[in-house]
Amino acid sequence: MDVLTTAAESLLTGNFMALLGAAVAALAGIGSAIGVGIAGEAAAGVTAEDPSKFGQALLLQALPGTQGIYGLLIAFLIMNKVGLIGGSGMLELTLLQGALIFTSALPIGITGTLSAVAQGKTAAAGIMMIGKRPEEIAKGMVYAAMVETYAVLALLASFLMLNGITL
Amino acid sequence: MAIAKMKKLTLIGLSREKEALIKELMRLGVVQISEQDARLSDERWSEVVKKDDAETASAKWETELERVDNALKLIDRFGDSKKPLISERKAIQTQEFEDALGKEYEIRRDVLKLTRLSRKLAHALLAENRANIARMSLLPWKEYDIPAEQFATKATRVWQGVVPAGNDSADFLRILAEKTQYTDAEVVYTDSEQHYISILFLAEELDTVQAALRDLGFNRIALPMAEGAVGEALAEVEQELADIDAQKEELIGKIRELKDCEPTLKLYHDELVMRRDCAAIRDKFLVTDSTFYVDGWFPRIAEDKLKALLSRHTCHFETADPQQDEQPPVLLLNGKLAEPFEAVTKLYSFPDYWGIDATAFFALPYALFFGMMLSDAAYGLLLMGITYFVKKKFTLEGMMKQLIDMFFFCGVFTLFWGLMFGSFFGDLITVVSSTFFGRTVNFPTLWFNPVEEPMTLLIFSYALGLLHILLAMGLGGYMSIRDGQPLDALFDVGFWYMLIIGLLLFMGAGMVPALPAGAPLFGKWMAIAGTLGIICTAGRHNKGITRITGGFTSLYDITGYLSDVLSYSRLLALGLATGVISSVFNTLGALGGPTLTGVILMIIAFSIGHPYNFAINALGSFVHSCRLQYVEFFGKFYQSGGVGFAPFCENTKYFKIIKEEQ
Repeated sequence: MDVLTTAAESLLTGNFMALLGAAVAALAGIGSAIGVGIAGEAAAGVTAEDPSKFGQALLLQALPGTQGIYGLLIAFLIMNKVGLIGGSGMLELTLLQGALIFTSALPIGITGTLSAVAQGKTAAAGIMMIGKRPEEIAKGMVYAAMVETYAVLALLASFLMLNGITL
Repeated sequence: MAIAKMKKLTLIGLSREKEALIKELMRLGVVQISEQDARLSDERWSEVVKKDDAETASAKWETELERVDNALKLIDRFGDSKKPLISERKAIQTQEFEDALGKEYEIRRDVLKLTRLSRKLAHALLAENRANIARMSLLPWKEYDIPAEQFATKATRVWQGVVPAGNDSADFLRILAEKTQYTDAEVVYTDSEQHYISILFLAEELDTVQAALRDLGFNRIALPMAEGAVGEALAEVEQELADIDAQKEELIGKIRELKDCEPTLKLYHDELVMRRDCAAIRDKFLVTDSTFYVDGWFPRIAEDKLKALLSRHTCHFETADPQQDEQPPVLLLNGKLAEPFEAVTKLYSFPDYWGIDATAFFALPYALFFGMMLSDAAYGLLLMGITYFVKKKFTLEGMMKQLIDMFFFCGVFTLFWGLMFGSFFGDLITVVSSTFFGRTVNFPTLWFNPVEEPMTLLIFSYALGLLHILLAMGLGGYMSIRDGQPLDALFDVGFWYMLIIGLLLFMGAGMVPALPAGAPLFGKWMAIAGTLGIICTAGRHNKGITRITGGFTSLYDITGYLSDVLSYSRLLALGLATGVISSVFNTLGALGGPTLTGVILMIIAFSIGHPYNFAINALGSFVHSCRLQYVEFFGKFYQSGGVGFAPFCENTKYFKIIKEEQ
């Protein structure tokens, strides 16, 4: 029991929580990887029928990739804020500061992951659509962009929260 | 800047002038000829006229066209000319075009030659395939020396076959020896899948052997040779393959010799397309013994030219404005600056002919939003450079040209916002100067840095969004007024304007010192008046009790307007994404410090990171600018469903024929 308590005490620091936040934000990449993968499977199917659709399918496949970028963005901003990169060493954070930073990473970490999977499915459907009607690619993109809206909002929430935290 | 006014052409002419007239109409290219199926089901018409025969003539050209297409594909495949990145139509003078086609006989001879070569090549490939299969089935038996003549003698039989590699071959031989009397089996070859086994046995023992082999999972195969040993057969097949290879080389060589006729073939291709179209359009003609009837749409701006053309022929024609119940095709006409943005309209859907073309209204917001989302001066310059280069290098037409022009304008605005927000490849200049030169140089920021003051940009984004939405509502109101329903405009747009603007004044006027002190109070009463107006009028199309409740429920639409405005926060979020990801790459590049490795690292981070960031964010900006137009803007007023104007014209693939001015 003592060992556990000591471990918890030494881990539960502000710096640890802040880095945990950066890690959670970057996890949005999981969603993007799954989403891009789903879209890629559909793209390969359509391209097998008609190789000239490669470019169009690729455009749609790229769309669910942005959540991973948003996650990286927040992770980077957190690391920058706590002085892990670009600064002169990591700041000493209180547990509360660390917890706040961790919280600010949750919107993009969670919404980003799940929305990227949903967007991947939408993009895959869009790719199926260009298999039959290549001229309608813009509509497929807009359907996928409808999903992305919520990732954008989550990014915004994360960013504003993080930006508001004073260290 | 709107939808081109269309007029309807009705034309009756003499059959003997039909072909000449069709040709001239095609060259002018301003009339979209209508289908006549509806007329034919009308008895008064069908008694007098019948459909012109288009089938026979167009089928002939279609076959020839297919041949030319195949010939061109063949040259494309084996000729060594590089394929251009973007396919374009070369401009050519009418005279030059006709001169080149003067030797049609020779061109057709080349087509015939190529068709023959293509057929021979297909045969060779087929033979090659067959020989390859034979070779594959002989290869495992390479060492097998019993000639085919001895496979069946008076008293003996020799069988070849396979058992799966999973079975033990020694077991196989032992069991076979036990079950039969005089057999001699031998494993010739074993690969990862099968044992190849040859069995010699007495003819009289056939049944016993067969039963034993069945139990052992033996699969008999027939070697593809009639006489001699496998080695000889294999040598023969190898020889055949070598022959086929040589033959293929020769055929491909002959095709390459003909590659110089590619330009003429392309000319001929286009000529055939025109001939076929001239023949096929007759499907839409109604004829009697000596006259024909046709009708269609043309844009009013082309009326003079069309009349001049028709007056040179013996024919009777009438032109008329479209009736309200007719649906003419839609041609968009916009000024030089707005025209490229037609691409965005077309990607959504053509407007209804009686609706409104919003291109001119969203062109500026589109470029503005795109610029805010990409918001990097360097990326703007890059986008302008790329599009400018593509435009210089290729002759573009149609949608492609519009998109390229549009991205050029978007690049201009990206540059603009990049300067406002002080971003040039993100913070590249700051990072490079402080890392390598030890002194910090900042790229000038004309307005503010969004990473430091995100709230300012967020509110600015909402303000732009609100203006965009108010503009869309205004267009809806304009359409109501134009259609003679000014009250609808007041009820559906005016009251909402009062409510929204009133609310803004009520809540926000205090923050703007320039406004008079009474503004919030004025706003309050304006909002109340608007609300009352909406409650009283919004349910006017309903029946019964919902006439009253409808007014209240439509107030709920305020949440719709709210979420529409909030949607514009993507302007900030995507702008931040570009900027921050840029600085991620710059920071990564600076990790090596002011050393040689550091410089190399910087170059690597720059040349991988920035192209990637540029590509993914330009795509994002394009998609999200489109979304803001399609969902937030078009949603308020746009009536889609028109059909694009597709005139009967020279629909060529390789050349654009320029008319000499007379």
